[in-house]
Amino acid sequence: MVKVAVSGINAVDNPGPGLGIIKGLREGETPVSVVGLAYDAMEPGIYLTDLIERAYLLPYPSEGEAPFLNRLLYIKEKEGLEVIIPALDAELPLFIDLEERLSSYGLKTFLPTQKQFKLRAKDHLPEVAEAIGIKTPRTLVLTSYEELMKALSQLKFPIMVKGLFYKAFRAYTQAEAQQYFHAIVAEWGYPVIVQEVVKGEEMNVVGVGDGEGGHFGLVAIKKLWITSLGKIWTGVTVTHPELLTAAESFVKHFRWRGAFELETIVSGDDIYLIEINPRFPAWIYFAVGVGINLPARLLKAALGGEPERDWDYPAGKLYIRFTDDLVTDLEVFQHMVTRGER
Amino acid sequence: MKLKRLAISEEGFVFDPETGNSYTVNETGLLILKKLREGLSPEEIAGIMSEEYGISREEALRDIQDFLEAMARFGLWEEKYG
Repeated sequence: MVKVAVSGINAVDNPGPGLGIIKGLREGETPVSVVGLAYDAMEPGIYLTDLIERAYLLPYPSEGEAPFLNRLLYIKEKEGLEVIIPALDAELPLFIDLEERLSSYGLKTFLPTQKQFKLRAKDHLPEVAEAIGIKTPRTLVLTSYEELMKALSQLKFPIMVKGLFYKAFRAYTQAEAQQYFHAIVAEWGYPVIVQEVVKGEEMNVVGVGDGEGGHFGLVAIKKLWITSLGKIWTGVTVTHPELLTAAESFVKHFRWRGAFELETIVSGDDIYLIEINPRFPAWIYFAVGVGINLPARLLKAALGGEPERDWDYPAGKLYIRFTDDLVTDLEVFQHMVTRGER
Repeated sequence: MKLKRLAISEEGFVFDPETGNSYTVNETGLLILKKLREGLSPEEIAGIMSEEYGISREEALRDIQDFLEAMARFGLWEEKYG
């Protein structure tokens, strides 16, 4: 039985990947006991005792390395934790920085390098796309209001206005673009990215790189229904050869290590790279459901094993997300608030 | 040939595994798709349709051309016969 901790158990309207990862781990060959890592006592995963045996609150990564590391070591001590699978963007830089130290304490991970993690910054996308033989929408990186005004006179509306790592708004007019620009600067600072909108099919690929140019499987999907936040609600597997080739080139060229998701727009014969996520997406259970159990393979890699590499999945499998509800005692919430664990 | 990759059910449900798009076709559309996949030309299919539905070859060929134009709009038909 492997004790593994998973974060991102916030299964809300913008769900974290945690529960999908955990479902995959539970369906894998290696028996697991799961510790859920949360940042808020209300994260739904805390209450799903069939999926998550024990749950702990973590300090926010912004509080610094020391409290974060101490908390992880406390959990290791108490639970006999062996592996951690972090699933949220905001905590990943810290986990990557701590990787060696965690390893020296016997806590295993399977993460991208700091350099690889930095590729997800939106101002790196054109460079990544070029390296793997696909395109990016026309993109400008702005560091002042003057540059915005100049950019708006060059780009065709609608455009996307994005922060370097977070937030993306679609603007149809100059006024909207300016409003979103100010909102992003106020929250995240410069640079702000503006990008022409490409029309086409929204297709994503998930995979796990082995860190040496190969991978432990890829699955490509198309989003059929999305929520108002742009999150997938239903989807279908696809076997778009050029898209999968681009994903393989990505892994090979950057020698990607760990989980990743490439978000693209496919327009005729052109593929546009929109985003790189250095972790599993929230729909990761889709890959598990079509027979490519990427979370279980990543766990095996973290444990030093040699995971399967087959990835012959069928096109035309359907993914359906649904809402669910649960009634439980206040006691669990109480424990999370007072003790930070249950 | 893009048609080769399509999954076509007997009920007229058509799935494109590369794009993830799905379509429905009626009985006539299904007949045209199947015959195209067998490698028949639009003219040959018009002959079959004219016998099957009791219409002239010209009318059948016009319908087939309309159908192929619709398929071209969906990116499922590009070459003249393929």
